[in-house]
Amino acid sequence: MSVCEIQGLTRDYGSGRGVFDLSFAIDQGEVFGFLGPNGAGKTTTIRHLMGFLKPESGYCTIDGKDCWKNRVDIQKTLGYIPGEMVFFDDMTGTEFLSFMAKYRKADSNGRTKELLDRFELDPRSKLRKMSKGMKQKVGIVTAFMHDPEVLILDEPTSGLDPLMQSRFIDLVLEEKARGKTILMSSHMFEEVERTCDRVAIIKNGRLEAMDDVETLKAALSRKYVVTLENDDAAAAFAGEGLRVFEVSHNQVTVIVQNNIKDLISVMNRYPVVNIAAPNQNLEEIFLQYYGGSGRS
Amino acid sequence: MINWPLYKRGIRGSWKMLIIFAAVITMYFSVIISMFDPALGSALNEFAKAMPELMAIVGMNPESAELVSFLEAYLYGFIMLVFPMLFCILSANKLIVRHIDRGSMTFLLAAPVKREAVAFTQIKVLVTGLFALITYATLLGIVNCEISFPGELDIKSFILLNVGTLCLQLFIGGICFLCSCVFTDSKYAVGVGAGIPALGFILQMMANAGKDLEKIKYATFFTLFDSDGIISGETFAIRGMLALFAGAIVLFSTAILIFSKKDLHI
Repeated sequence: MSVCEIQGLTRDYGSGRGVFDLSFAIDQGEVFGFLGPNGAGKTTTIRHLMGFLKPESGYCTIDGKDCWKNRVDIQKTLGYIPGEMVFFDDMTGTEFLSFMAKYRKADSNGRTKELLDRFELDPRSKLRKMSKGMKQKVGIVTAFMHDPEVLILDEPTSGLDPLMQSRFIDLVLEEKARGKTILMSSHMFEEVERTCDRVAIIKNGRLEAMDDVETLKAALSRKYVVTLENDDAAAAFAGEGLRVFEVSHNQVTVIVQNNIKDLISVMNRYPVVNIAAPNQNLEEIFLQYYGGSGRS
Repeated sequence: MINWPLYKRGIRGSWKMLIIFAAVITMYFSVIISMFDPALGSALNEFAKAMPELMAIVGMNPESAELVSFLEAYLYGFIMLVFPMLFCILSANKLIVRHIDRGSMTFLLAAPVKREAVAFTQIKVLVTGLFALITYATLLGIVNCEISFPGELDIKSFILLNVGTLCLQLFIGGICFLCSCVFTDSKYAVGVGAGIPALGFILQMMANAGKDLEKIKYATFFTLFDSDGIISGETFAIRGMLALFAGAIVLFSTAILIFSKKDLHI
């Protein structure tokens, strides 16, 4: 049963920006990854789900209720982490959390305390003096403290260090196990790989691909940069029948897809100095698989 | 309809500004009231006689030698128009459009609180501030006069004058708040929200300046606030006051409606 449904959603900002005829549905208890390069329309889509924007055409629903018309009703059981954390500047974190609990008439019980402990957050300092990571943690606590049924998370781990990112992933997995439905936009491969059941990729406001994470992972290709002793060795290495992305002086970039052993055996026969896996963003990896141009 | 936690926050956010305005008003009231001289006519009156045009521009031309007329002329033609107006401009901007512009509105709307309730609560914060400021001025005027000139002040007329000022300021607050809801950008909201009342005020000053320009008074809502007429209890002046009040209600209601229906890129 789908909890969140987007059907033919369109909002045209002109000059190709916006979202166009976007449709997908998220099932009960599912963690749905929402990926795409910057400016692809992720946040615009999320604003529609939050009832901030009225669709030009199409509709979106949560629990069968229209996101624009029934937004107040929907918000009762919804948690949201905005892509940008802007608080009221003159409050401390403690004041803000207690304000939000009273404002939304939420009964957070021990939940807030538990979340603060989990993320090792001391919210007593002024919000405007907090680091980006601390603000992000305040945002996370705000989104989860009223124990919502549906969660909309817009790049929830930006600004967090790896330890906290991993704690956040654990939190998402626990919520998933409790049957919560989660939409998460992200750029972090690990986060998506570990939490999401399905992934949708949007680009230029259109749905580019949607599939199970397992299917995508099986077909994933990765780039490796192999550094050899000299340019000649690099040229010879590139002629070994591997999928070569580019050759630059003594470095060869190869694309590997389930055949890492081939690469290793070839490397054994050459004077390899170093090997590195450059950071590829998630969209690039997935879009390569779909034959789209990963570079925008 | 009202959200109390948000209201409390709004009040906490305005009291510093209110204290500053109250301090400025206290200073003006004390100085001006001390200049009143029931026997001789004050130094200010002499000044008004010497340069009637200049003083008339800022509304400082008392109709009679009564204390209430004196206050009306020297305090309610400029000080009590401009300072509460500034409060409206700053407050209205802070309550809505600044949250949209910065993005902090996100947290107010990512909660089961109707947009109508958010706007209504913020209006209530603005109105509370205005009410407090003008009530303070009223009490300040009465106490000050009773200490310096016991029994001289026509308290009933003075209170009516302040009610009239409140109606005018509510109308101005309505304009500012409507702009705060219509625009998405703080600078346009302040530009238009401050521009309309400022223009109205300048037009009134021009209309006061001389016979040739008197017709300008039909182009500004400040004409509805006839302070001379209010203290002498003229029906027309009272009607103007009620018109301003009704106008304020229309402006605030429109603001709520627009805020509830608008697209927010937050």
